[in-house]
Amino acid sequence: MKDISKAIHKVDSDEKISGTAKYTDDYVMENMLYAKTVRAMVSKGTIESIEFPDLPEGYFVVGPEDVKGENVVNMIFDDWPVFTKKAINYLGEPLCLIVGPDKATINAIIEAITIQVKEEPPTFDFTDSATHRHFEKGEPEKAFKDATKTIERTYETGYQEQAYIEPQGFFGYPENGGVTLIGSIQCPYYVKNAVMRSTGLKEDTVRIIQADVGGAFGGKEEFPSLMACELAAAIQKTGKPVKLIYERSEDMAVTTKRHPSKIKMKAYLNEDNTIKGLKVHVSLDGGAYIGLSKVVLSRAMIAVSGAYTFTNLDVSGDVYKTNTVPNGAFRGFGAPQMLFAIEMFIEHVAREVSEDPFAYRMHHLAKQGDSTSTGGTFRDPIILKPMIEKAKKASNYDALRRDYQNKDVFKGIGMSLFLHGCGFTGSGEADIIKAKVKLKKDEQDDIHILIAAVDMGQGPKTTIRKVVSDILNLPIEKVHYPNPDTLNVPDSGPTVASRTAMIVGGLCARAAEKLKKDYVKGKEQTVHETYVQPKEMEWDEDAMQGDAYPAYSWGVNIVEVEVNKGTYQIDVLKMTSVYDIGKALDEKIIEGQIHGGQAQGLGYGYLEVMNHKNGRIEQTTMTDYIIPTSVDMPPMETYIMDNPYALGPYGAKGAGELTLVGGAPALAKAVEQAIGKDIHKIPLTPETIMELMHHEKN
Amino acid sequence: MKKTEFTLNGKAISLEKDPSKRFLDVLRNDLGLKGPKEGCGEGECGACAVLIDGNIVNTCILPLANVHGKTVTTIEGFSETRKFEVIKEAFKDEGGVQCGFCTPGMIIATESLLNKNPSPSDFEIRIGLSGNLCRCTGYELIIKAVKLAAKRGEGLW
Amino acid sequence: MVSQIYPTTLEEALHYLKKETCHIVAGGTDLWVKHRNWANTPPKFKRNLLYVAHLEALKGIKKENNILSIGAMTPYETILNHPATPDILKACLMELASPAIRHVATLAGNIANASPAADAVLVLVALDATVEIANESGRRIKNVKDIITGPGKTTLEDDDLIVNIRIPLTPFTHTKFIKVGGRKADAISKVAFAGCANVKDGALKDFNIALGAVNSTVVRNIPLENTYKDKPLSELKREKEAFLNALSTSIKPIDDQRSNAQYRKRVALNLVSDFIDSL
Repeated sequence: MKDISKAIHKVDSDEKISGTAKYTDDYVMENMLYAKTVRAMVSKGTIESIEFPDLPEGYFVVGPEDVKGENVVNMIFDDWPVFTKKAINYLGEPLCLIVGPDKATINAIIEAITIQVKEEPPTFDFTDSATHRHFEKGEPEKAFKDATKTIERTYETGYQEQAYIEPQGFFGYPENGGVTLIGSIQCPYYVKNAVMRSTGLKEDTVRIIQADVGGAFGGKEEFPSLMACELAAAIQKTGKPVKLIYERSEDMAVTTKRHPSKIKMKAYLNEDNTIKGLKVHVSLDGGAYIGLSKVVLSRAMIAVSGAYTFTNLDVSGDVYKTNTVPNGAFRGFGAPQMLFAIEMFIEHVAREVSEDPFAYRMHHLAKQGDSTSTGGTFRDPIILKPMIEKAKKASNYDALRRDYQNKDVFKGIGMSLFLHGCGFTGSGEADIIKAKVKLKKDEQDDIHILIAAVDMGQGPKTTIRKVVSDILNLPIEKVHYPNPDTLNVPDSGPTVASRTAMIVGGLCARAAEKLKKDYVKGKEQTVHETYVQPKEMEWDEDAMQGDAYPAYSWGVNIVEVEVNKGTYQIDVLKMTSVYDIGKALDEKIIEGQIHGGQAQGLGYGYLEVMNHKNGRIEQTTMTDYIIPTSVDMPPMETYIMDNPYALGPYGAKGAGELTLVGGAPALAKAVEQAIGKDIHKIPLTPETIMELMHHEKN
Repeated sequence: MKKTEFTLNGKAISLEKDPSKRFLDVLRNDLGLKGPKEGCGEGECGACAVLIDGNIVNTCILPLANVHGKTVTTIEGFSETRKFEVIKEAFKDEGGVQCGFCTPGMIIATESLLNKNPSPSDFEIRIGLSGNLCRCTGYELIIKAVKLAAKRGEGLW
Repeated sequence: MVSQIYPTTLEEALHYLKKETCHIVAGGTDLWVKHRNWANTPPKFKRNLLYVAHLEALKGIKKENNILSIGAMTPYETILNHPATPDILKACLMELASPAIRHVATLAGNIANASPAADAVLVLVALDATVEIANESGRRIKNVKDIITGPGKTTLEDDDLIVNIRIPLTPFTHTKFIKVGGRKADAISKVAFAGCANVKDGALKDFNIALGAVNSTVVRNIPLENTYKDKPLSELKREKEAFLNALSTSIKPIDDQRSNAQYRKRVALNLVSDFIDSL
């Protein structure tokens, strides 16, 4: 049997390379109308009146009164309206759409709209907690009382914008008494459920089709549901096809971003200076609406121990409502914020008690059998030690770490150790998603993979086809996996949380095995599989106790930098990494995911700056929001170490987010060595570095 | 100025359109070519790029007037060439395609680079691609693909 | 809807400029960003448009005596590849924007756009470049430094057209261009430095120091430079702090979405200091 990891050509490369792949804006239809969003111009206020100019024939206002079902975007929290009626809670909040056949006319109509708003004082600081969570491990109160020493630090992280190269958009038309929407999305069923709720349409009249997606990274997880609800109302009102594509600056100003965070870490030490326990508080800026921020908070809190084991934990967190753009999913989903904090903190603690940071971290390193932060168990082998050895050797870490201690050399090398929980947090898979997959064999004995998983570049179209074709011993050309269409596929869950290969791929593998056993040549056969929670997994959602995830993937990142003495700019010289993702379903695809995730992780650490000023996002162009170019990327040496997971297809675990979460702390540690100062905040801009080096405040 | 005349993918085109119209809009809406894409509308991401007289140009900030008398090749036209085949195979072999949105622009950038520099170094490849933003790949496998294409395409450029 | 003129000759262009107030369109890369509108709607121009990028009379690079004469509509890429182009200008153009922009953008466009962060303008000022300006009545030559007066502001009249950029080919022994942007390519300068020096037999023959993006126009203090010209280099090195202090009074950067004033000022002075150290 051939090794599944061996790379094959991705099955969708041809159309993407030749420019024939069909993205949302490529769809055209006769009599198609365009839609543009009319938005609030203040961060907080109440709408007193909206006056529209006389509309020419064929032009429509589509607003809250046109939402025939519930004026709410179905997300985990029900606070986000499709169109706001009176209350404005953030700058750019949608008030209505203007829809019509000519874009210039739509622009003119929007310019002629007059809106009377009573402005109210907005909130930007962390005072209005919309959700508070807390969990403990061990006996923190007792432990903290007995502690010989405490060390306290606070860490901050900023916005991160997904900056997918394809802006958000949908195209839809009336069909079958309802609506059909084609969009740049990660979660066809999230969209379907949202549209059913906002339109009141029944299940069989709402159809969602995934167009080819030009990048998503979480930004197209829940946000598209808002656009879909608005568009559905427009299609129902006009009875025509309607296209809604965001302009880049619009997309950057109003779509969900990574939650900015402020994390307070307090370590309680034993007499031998090791960590007895941690008391941690996580503050996330949720923006105007909570959406799925509660889940982001959960993941952040659960990641509190990072790659380590601590006996006692007192972890709390709040999502604060502010009058800014609502924040949401972005690859990592709370983990990047927390991993930055714990990775920096453990070294800061070590240095403060004059311990060698590396040895200190090794002392606390998690082992198989340890209890997790939430009192679950690391049941599977943890191979961090050999991974660290490999990474150190490949990067020449020990020698360089020694050499760069020289104060006259502005170079540094830093190492981050981290994990990522694979799949939905806690009982999400079993209680909320309940994933279903379908495998159909037609009379020509071609196999059709019917799942809702979206290939947005990360390759499931190739990897899951590989899995199924390998099990059934068929050439891959006989296995089909089209873009999901809710008309044809069951709900296998959203394409998020590093669950697609492990959970959905796993279900497809089981279905393929079943089909193999019952295979009848020339006969149409269908196999269904539904997710079953591993029996040892127990999770108490309210107490946040038990096994938060069925499996964990692990990583080691080593980043080497040079800081320019005159300009304070960071030159990333090299990045070396080793990952345990169980088993690669395709080594080239994983390699690509590693490079891309690392680029985003590094960007998060030092390049990607986004702030708001009084609720207005200051960087709303690709010129002002700096993502790495080809010239910015360092050489990357990457390794995968196999550690097969029994319940994953061919041993595969989650990989999608892991490769982003370790970059920023590794980079920050390297910069700390280069400039000889402690770092508590990212992004590490040259301006910040200058301040640190000269003790200047701006 | 009444008519804008140019060669597009080998064919002579004559258009009577607003000369200030973005060439990207002309391609996508008047000429039905969807290969060039709108990623940013400000000449920053390269997803809209085509070849003008063999050089990469961003069409989202290119007025139709400035295309008059030029030879334009979009990804559609370029994909009919032998050079494209070499580049395509290299991109497939190296795994340089993820979501694909930046890819046509990257192919155009590759051709523009190799036209001038048939054997570029790694750094020269990075510079050649510096105006094409990719969010998925971290560029590494794209650079490898360009290197491989240059090696295999000896004599073509 | 504005009028759009596509002249077939330079004379025609100058004639139109006399009659109507126009945006003069070179490569269009600044104008089409500044005036951009929703996809597939006309850009938001309020002035008429005069397209000149195609005029052959405005293209070409010639070396006459010791002046490099660059036609206003010569794209950056062509200038970059020309053997006579001074190294410092090459260094600047190599990092300017991206290959796609460099294939159509021009020096004339960079000058007329007059952004305080304009990189090509910075180097032209450091090189004491001049421009030849034409209108229907005649031609005149002006220093690049003198025609830019503020962000987006030049002394060019509505009927003026830049036809030529003229760079004196001074044999400098040391030239340096440093761009400090948000990333290594495809970035707008937070601070930029252009320095040219001619050190001969221990004496400083030429000493041009220019800074970009740290004031509303390029910072260059020629009287200050002149106090060290034709003097021993050691004098400049000894009085480096005094030089930096004097220069710093012209360094008045702003805070914006890209950077802050404190950073820009300190880095600008660091770059000047490093250049002096390198001589």
